[in-house]
Amino acid sequence: MKKAYWIGAVVVLAFLALGLSTFTKSMTPYVSFDEAKASKRTVQVMGALEKGSSRYDTDAKTLHFTLVDEKTKAPLPVTYRDVKPANFEEAVSIVAIGRYQGDAFHAEKLLVKCPSKYQGEEVEKQYGKKA
Amino acid sequence: MSDTVRAIGFAPGTAAIWAALLFGLASIAVYLRALRLETSGAPAAETSLAIGFARRLYAAYAFSILLASVLLMTLLMQHDFRVSYVAAYSGRELPLNYLFSTFWAGQEGSFMLWLFWGAIIGFFVVKTAKEQEAPVMAVYLASFLGIVAILCKQPPFRFLPQVPPDGQGLNPLLQDPWMVIHPPVMFAGFASLSVPFAFAIGALWRKRWDGWVVRAMPWALFTFVTLGTAILMGGYWAYKTLGWGGYWAWDPVENTSLVPWLFTVSLLHGMYLQKSREKHRKINIFLAIAAYCCILYGTFLTRSGVLADFSVHSFIDLGITGWLVGIIVVFLVGGLGLLAFRWKEIPVVAEIDPATGKEREEPFLSRSVLFILSVALICASAIVILLGTSAPILTRVTGKPSQVATSFYNITHAPVAILIGLLIALVPYLSWRGEAPKAVARKAFVAFAIGVLGAGVAFSAGVRGAKDLAFIGFAVFGCAANVESVVLFVRRKVVASAGGYLAHIGVAIMLVGILISGAYEKKTQVTLVRGEPTQVGGRTMTFTRTVLVNEDGDVKQRVELDPTRLADRRAKQAMEVEVTSGKGKVWKAYPKMFQNERTQQLMANPDVRSTPLMDLYLSPQSYDPGSPSRIEGIRIGLKPGEAKSVGGVSFTAKGFTMDRSQMNANPPRVTMNAKFLVGAGGKTTETTAQLVMFMAAAGGGEGMQQAPDVAIPGTPNGRFRVSRVGGNDGSMEIEVLGLNPAGDLKPPTAESFSVDVTVKPLISLVWGGFYVMMAGGLLALIRRSRDAHAAVVG
Repeated sequence: MKKAYWIGAVVVLAFLALGLSTFTKSMTPYVSFDEAKASKRTVQVMGALEKGSSRYDTDAKTLHFTLVDEKTKAPLPVTYRDVKPANFEEAVSIVAIGRYQGDAFHAEKLLVKCPSKYQGEEVEKQYGKKA
Repeated sequence: MSDTVRAIGFAPGTAAIWAALLFGLASIAVYLRALRLETSGAPAAETSLAIGFARRLYAAYAFSILLASVLLMTLLMQHDFRVSYVAAYSGRELPLNYLFSTFWAGQEGSFMLWLFWGAIIGFFVVKTAKEQEAPVMAVYLASFLGIVAILCKQPPFRFLPQVPPDGQGLNPLLQDPWMVIHPPVMFAGFASLSVPFAFAIGALWRKRWDGWVVRAMPWALFTFVTLGTAILMGGYWAYKTLGWGGYWAWDPVENTSLVPWLFTVSLLHGMYLQKSREKHRKINIFLAIAAYCCILYGTFLTRSGVLADFSVHSFIDLGITGWLVGIIVVFLVGGLGLLAFRWKEIPVVAEIDPATGKEREEPFLSRSVLFILSVALICASAIVILLGTSAPILTRVTGKPSQVATSFYNITHAPVAILIGLLIALVPYLSWRGEAPKAVARKAFVAFAIGVLGAGVAFSAGVRGAKDLAFIGFAVFGCAANVESVVLFVRRKVVASAGGYLAHIGVAIMLVGILISGAYEKKTQVTLVRGEPTQVGGRTMTFTRTVLVNEDGDVKQRVELDPTRLADRRAKQAMEVEVTSGKGKVWKAYPKMFQNERTQQLMANPDVRSTPLMDLYLSPQSYDPGSPSRIEGIRIGLKPGEAKSVGGVSFTAKGFTMDRSQMNANPPRVTMNAKFLVGAGGKTTETTAQLVMFMAAAGGGEGMQQAPDVAIPGTPNGRFRVSRVGGNDGSMEIEVLGLNPAGDLKPPTAESFSVDVTVKPLISLVWGGFYVMMAGGLLALIRRSRDAHAAVVG
């Protein structure tokens, strides 16, 4: 019986080791636009969508748009070779995960933060003022 | 209205929550008193009197919770927009089923739903806990009081200072039938996690090490079924409505309900081992504590705002982060602390071999060893997922918060899945005492041969790579082995005991479905021009027209809609695509693309055509209504005084004047006279361009504008006009035409629809396997409930 527990412990530790080694490899750090441009690995950046900058190239099936840093207002051109996510234009902010190559950030995944998330806050803002 | 009145809001509701807190605390106190009487050997009559009183206090607690829930639901149904929660999450124009689901659309309501199930489940715990009632109910109640306290601080009944005419409405993504039933099932699972936890703590308290397992096992199975069903429903909803093409994204919100479920599965195997062999006592208590604390931790991750930048789902911070952390610390430190305190007292049962006089060592090929391995394996999987999900918090300590890519989960779980296939396959052939390898090989031969055959079939169907083939081979082996066992049980007429094997069959089927539908899907992006048949992977697809699909699923044109019917008012725009299969079968698909009127969000729902062998998944990407040929210029923005040149002509904005003299004309208008310096061919001319803006007529309607073209001196055909005047800085936009010798004529574009067409082979096995797994769970639940009912334990 003891033997079995040792084997069990080895299984857990082996997977933890696999987990930890994969963990560091698959890490996608949040970085600034400048850091993203300098980095060669997969990173994530966050910014606001520049109004009117999005364009879908139907031939290349690629979405092009520009993110603007919320603090410094620096722009970052982004391409995304996939579906334009739902609610893209209405996003409060967009998180792009990918890497910078050539002259644009090539996103593999986009997370779109919608205003509806803040519904509860919105109603307080609108009707929360004292009459 | 004073701030206090506002914070209390709808008084009966807030009062009910406070009453629940007080009755809950009182019930715990009396249960603890009963426990002290019990352990001090007081007369049985005195103890049962205390227990009876504690039960009545529990009933008062539970009815307060139920009352608060009913009141919140009533306020939602009555559109009482004085209440902030009602105004924030519901609206007048909602059908009854979606109005119902606004109850749990926000944070406070979903906590309320959690408590609601806790209150109901508690009545059954009182009935079934028997000799362990006092400690179990005390801990069980305590596990909910933290949430009750959060709702006392943040009651869902708060008033708004001004009453809005209508609510904000329900998030359109949640307006789906699956989202009406998914959260209630999920929270029933969450609430039931408190039961094994309470029994485990009760065992530590009373120092009775085996009895709790018998009583808690049906509850762990209840969690297995409810939480499992809810997780899969969530995945199915994502697959059917979100349109990104999958059912599982390893999103933190999904992971935080998967991890407690995995701990529960691990606990179930440990409990089975303990019931049969009186082993595994410490680890089972640890697993029960871990499963409960993980649901608290998951609640913290998804509701405190720590993951706001990492998850599509996460909520914003309501100011309850500190409370949640406090609750986790209390239960984690309290639970594990008690376990550590009692660790030495928990007896380890050693089997002495009479022949040698030494402790008996089970051979490797025994059921005991296999169960320990399965517990370890599932636990390892849960810990690894927990690690990945916590990445943003773990990395925050060292610097920049980071997230792991989803590949992390896929890489780590490929070996887990293969090993699970192998363990599942071996279980039916092993007894607790163990077998000789040769005997196992002889018994397992047929199932193993079927597994090899399965891998062979997969290879001929196009599955490649040693890892994938091993994956399929072991899964089929596992499936065949357990089918053999179930058949045996049915023949012996002891179907009730086949639950575990049936669940294993389901797991094996799911594994095959997950691998094949994920790794071997075929995705094509096509743009379908209206009326033109297009070949897509052996099928012919034609985008025939745009239609409206109402809530009942009827396809209509706009004129056919009946505005008096809610189902018609909620009709959504869809694209009709006629699909002809390779065999000549024709059907119509209706992927939807529409704008939610309230939030203006653009939504897309895929159309899924399911057959047993594959799903055809049409996910809308974009729709272009087409346009006739038109003349299009180059648009440039100019700030006052700024100079820009285009096509060899320079423009400098010199400001503008506004002529408001015709504000009373019909229609009223304002004329802007904008001055420019235009430089072309070495000559600079001052030019004035006009923009006439017609004010919107009373009662609404868009304002119109007119801007006559102004010729550019020194060019044969060049002209420009003011296209927009905007901003407080006096900037404007002009459109320049005719500078391009080839002309600025844009050719007409056709009406077209871009769609992702994905073929997902064998995805039906994911759902089918899941049904089988849950059927096994239910069978085991019935069997273990009967056991628990009949059992007499200390």
